[in-house]
Amino acid sequence: MSIVLRSHADPASAEFAANAEAHAELARDLRRQWARVHAGGGEQAAERQRARGKLLPRERVDLLLDRGSPFLELSTLAAHGMYEDQSPGAGIITGVGRVHGREVMVICNDATVKGGSYFPMTARKHTRAQEIALQNRLPCVYLVDSGGGYLPLQDELFPDVRGFGQSFYNQANMSAEGIPQVAAVLGSCTAGGAYVPAMCDENVIVREQGTIFLGGPPLVKAATGEEVSAEELGGGELHTRVSGVADHLAADDRDALAILRSIIATLPTRAGVPWERRPSEPPAVDPATLTGAVPADIRTPYDPREIIARIADGSRFHEFKAGYGATLVCGFAHLHGHSVGILANQGVIFSSSALKGAHFIEMCDQREIPLVFLQNITGFMVGPDAEAGGIAKDGAKMIAAVSVARVPKLTVIVGGSFGAGNYGMCGRPYFPRFLWMWPNARISVMGGDQAANVLTMVGREKDPERIEQNKAAIREQYERQGHPYYASARLWDDGVIDPLSTRDVLGLAISACANAPLAARRKPVFRM
Amino acid sequence: MFESVLVANRGEIAVRVIRTLRRLGVRSIAVYSDADADAPHVRLADVAVRLGAGPAGDSYLSIERVLEALAATDARAVHPGYGFLSENADFARACAAAGVVFVGPPPEAIELLGDKVAAKRVAEQAGVPVLAGLQREDLDDEAILQFAREQPARLPLMVKATAGGGGRGMRIVRTLQELPQALAAARREAHAGFGDDSIFVERYVERARHIEVQLLADAHGTVLHLGERECSLQRRHQKVVEECPSPAVSPELRAQLGEASISLARAAGYVGAGTAEFILSADDMHEWFFLEVNARLQVEHPVTELATGLDLVEQQLIVASGAALQLTQSDVQISGHAIEARLCAEDPANDFLPSTGTLIGYREPAGDGVRVDSGVAEGSEITSHYDSLLAKLIVSGADRPEALGRLDEALARLRLLGLRTNAGFLRRLMLDEEVRQGRLDTGLIERTADAIAPPHAARRSAAVAVSSIELLQLHDRASERDPWDSLVGFRLDGAAPVTWELQSLDTDESLLVSIAGSPSGARATVDGEAVEVVARSLGRGRVAIALDGTAHDFEHATDGEQRWVADGPDAFAFRLVEPVSEHTEVAAAGSLEAPMPGTVLDVRVACGDTVCEGDVLVVMESMKMELTLVAPTDAVVLDALVAQGDGVKQGQRLVELEAVA
Repeated sequence: MSIVLRSHADPASAEFAANAEAHAELARDLRRQWARVHAGGGEQAAERQRARGKLLPRERVDLLLDRGSPFLELSTLAAHGMYEDQSPGAGIITGVGRVHGREVMVICNDATVKGGSYFPMTARKHTRAQEIALQNRLPCVYLVDSGGGYLPLQDELFPDVRGFGQSFYNQANMSAEGIPQVAAVLGSCTAGGAYVPAMCDENVIVREQGTIFLGGPPLVKAATGEEVSAEELGGGELHTRVSGVADHLAADDRDALAILRSIIATLPTRAGVPWERRPSEPPAVDPATLTGAVPADIRTPYDPREIIARIADGSRFHEFKAGYGATLVCGFAHLHGHSVGILANQGVIFSSSALKGAHFIEMCDQREIPLVFLQNITGFMVGPDAEAGGIAKDGAKMIAAVSVARVPKLTVIVGGSFGAGNYGMCGRPYFPRFLWMWPNARISVMGGDQAANVLTMVGREKDPERIEQNKAAIREQYERQGHPYYASARLWDDGVIDPLSTRDVLGLAISACANAPLAARRKPVFRM
Repeated sequence: MFESVLVANRGEIAVRVIRTLRRLGVRSIAVYSDADADAPHVRLADVAVRLGAGPAGDSYLSIERVLEALAATDARAVHPGYGFLSENADFARACAAAGVVFVGPPPEAIELLGDKVAAKRVAEQAGVPVLAGLQREDLDDEAILQFAREQPARLPLMVKATAGGGGRGMRIVRTLQELPQALAAARREAHAGFGDDSIFVERYVERARHIEVQLLADAHGTVLHLGERECSLQRRHQKVVEECPSPAVSPELRAQLGEASISLARAAGYVGAGTAEFILSADDMHEWFFLEVNARLQVEHPVTELATGLDLVEQQLIVASGAALQLTQSDVQISGHAIEARLCAEDPANDFLPSTGTLIGYREPAGDGVRVDSGVAEGSEITSHYDSLLAKLIVSGADRPEALGRLDEALARLRLLGLRTNAGFLRRLMLDEEVRQGRLDTGLIERTADAIAPPHAARRSAAVAVSSIELLQLHDRASERDPWDSLVGFRLDGAAPVTWELQSLDTDESLLVSIAGSPSGARATVDGEAVEVVARSLGRGRVAIALDGTAHDFEHATDGEQRWVADGPDAFAFRLVEPVSEHTEVAAAGSLEAPMPGTVLDVRVACGDTVCEGDVLVVMESMKMELTLVAPTDAVVLDALVAQGDGVKQGQRLVELEAVA
């Protein structure tokens, strides 16, 4: 019944080659940024870590996971360009991986980065991973090796929600929801950090390496004058034999990770997938041609079916209302075997497109089909006809439908994400379970050109030269702040991805979402 | 011909005999011990009868049990194979008494030839050259020493057990000084091995070739020889490779040996198939001596069969049925060349000690001129109850080089997984230049140490193969499954390599293999060396793997954490090391503490004592219960902090310890 999509891109064309090269250049830069983050605090810091008999954080993650397990890393570029770039990846690694066949959320400090200290974005990244774990019922595994909060920035770290403090609130609440919380103490857990293992259901500590205390030896000396070693004050022997703060004593990192794996093996496995799943098949249109078929410049319009053809199983797409509201492409497909409803933009949203989108989201929610948004949107239509046609109430219907849908929502910003279009297409404020950006995407309240025009129009400046200067400054600001790295640095997304990995990233994410059963369906008042 | 024949044996020879019975339309009856309940010979036979428990004494060596089986199945004849009851005159008589035909020589001939001293006397009387020696009943050490002193040219001497065989109770003595000690040792071994410490001595030929002649005699006076076999490739007097004809035997010598053998057989009143064994000096082919007669079908009889086109078991049955041989000496023609290699469950790297295990993977070669006489199948359990022979690979060709080529090819295609075997050793041995040239002697194998172990690079390739097979399984398991299964090693920046730690079970070395890519094109790194890998499953237990463009055909099998692979006769075994905590509770060092408040009843150690894990150090009473406190690890006592009668608090230190590594 579904149509097998065919590509209209000509691989022999100059346009195809230019598109592919533009995307490739962006991907190369993205890889450079990743490589910088993967290097953590650098070779010297890594050497120090090794000299202490400790594994590097990424080695720890690899040893924790099943052999050959995928690792869907999150927020790799967190804190990019912030804190004078002293905190690559915000000094923490988060992501979903498999342990003993169970998808788990891994939260691993990188002690090579400022001793694993929590910068404000570190806490944001940590709590974002917990939020994903909570929404998708993923057991949390903390690999702790951190000196605690980065004190110079305590104001941004300590008092507010999504700060360090909320991470413990999250642990208690996840535990209450029956989402296991386990930790391995592989280094310091000082002050607030002490609560990470303490608030876990079960934990491991490495002898003569892991320490847990509210106040370290210097603080104790200052407070009471007592001189005490870190091991005596909060080492593995103390906590597993005397205090009961820790449960298992490990000889070293490998031993601790093996014990963690053993703990995870005792956890229940996930129930069935809450939606239809069939055997996976690769797309009929070669996914490797995606970057040639799709322009990198977001101002060039294109048919989003070129993307769908390269991410859907067998390139099969059962399109809904193809002839109505044609600027929003909606339809059913399978992705790595999982049933999905896909919404993709092909221009500005009209009333008809918004109504179609609301209708389609309602259907998917009723049929228990996860939603995938391929966002490339300049906004909703404006003008007298649109307003008279009730674009505001029709747009509201789509936004309302997106807001209350209980099925998992996954968003990929593949182009522009401007204005209220971001809302209708399930931007970050609409709590998609996961959200990624392509390196060529841009996100802001409106486009840079548009903002420059609006701001100069409402401004008082009359000098054409000054107007042009102002416009250029506004355009520059929007370009900088709308860049995916800027967005990713601030956790507006869960990561920038290579467009060629879109299908696999979505597939892993939808499958991870399947760990949580669907909630009951709800319905707001739709303005008719 | 008989209506039914019971095969009183097991393994490859039972299978081989049953094959002929089936071909001749004779009802075949197998017997088995509990250890062989599911063995190939049991499955192949028309009827199978349980003899008893695994040990041979309770089954294949029990005359009583075999006679019961004969009676129960109404068998007309019994074929004893080799070993077990094949040269047991009492058994032959018991069969006759039970009205069952024993397929073998008359009991008197068995007895005569089974006694090596008597056999040698018969040979001398028949004019057959024998090694100078001293052999008589109740021969004492003094007489032997006297014999050696008389003529120093009689050295070197071989000391042998009269009742011996298979190398036990044998000693070579090159100087008079060594002789007394050697005699004592030989008597000890003979006594332990055969319950009879009588020995004899004879001249020892330093570089000897073992040549034997196949005999066939009927009850009507026909005695034929079927040419010779050369069995010089021996290890500790155990034959390893045999061939027919011998590259050392000329037609003239063949005729001489044949005639000598026939006259011996006649002198001994021999009927049936038998073998006269000789040794030739490798340095002087004209010097040859009679050794002994084996009054049975030999293990290595198939090379004669392939070279003569005769079925020796069929000939045995014809003779046993009382019929006359339908052959004359001139009908017997040796054409082409045949070689047999014995596949044994033994570990060449470990002094060829017998190995045991389950044959979890087994593939026999097939093809022109290739015959496999096998007593095992996939799943066979190899126990220590019986000898280590698993199967025999027999090849024939127009000439020796062709036969050698086919044997090499057949060994290359053989796969045996799950236990150590000598298969890889056999292939390397047969590539030895002296072997190829036919310059054989019974000491050759001891000199070819190079053939013992496979090269290190082969083990490394095997480790890469194991990892590639694991990778294939990760991807196989992945097909049509959840993306968490199918996207092996997924990372945002491209698939991460997958790593395996493999511990070689042969060498104990640990190999870390890392593979990046998918089975259709991957790069493996092992020991810091990179190799390009393409792997494709060929179905159950087989996989085609190209390593740097060179194609290999690996057979593989899994046994728990063990991974076995073979792309030739050498099987490699590894243990897949999984992350397992071996320190569930790290032993506490330091001190022994009171687990509860109470009173010390006894302190059993003092400062400076060395204690072992589990030793009782302190006894205390708490809540009306007596508690014994033991050393948590091997340690030295630094201090005993309490004494009898002391009251102690919970957690109070009682004894200071220092763990010893």
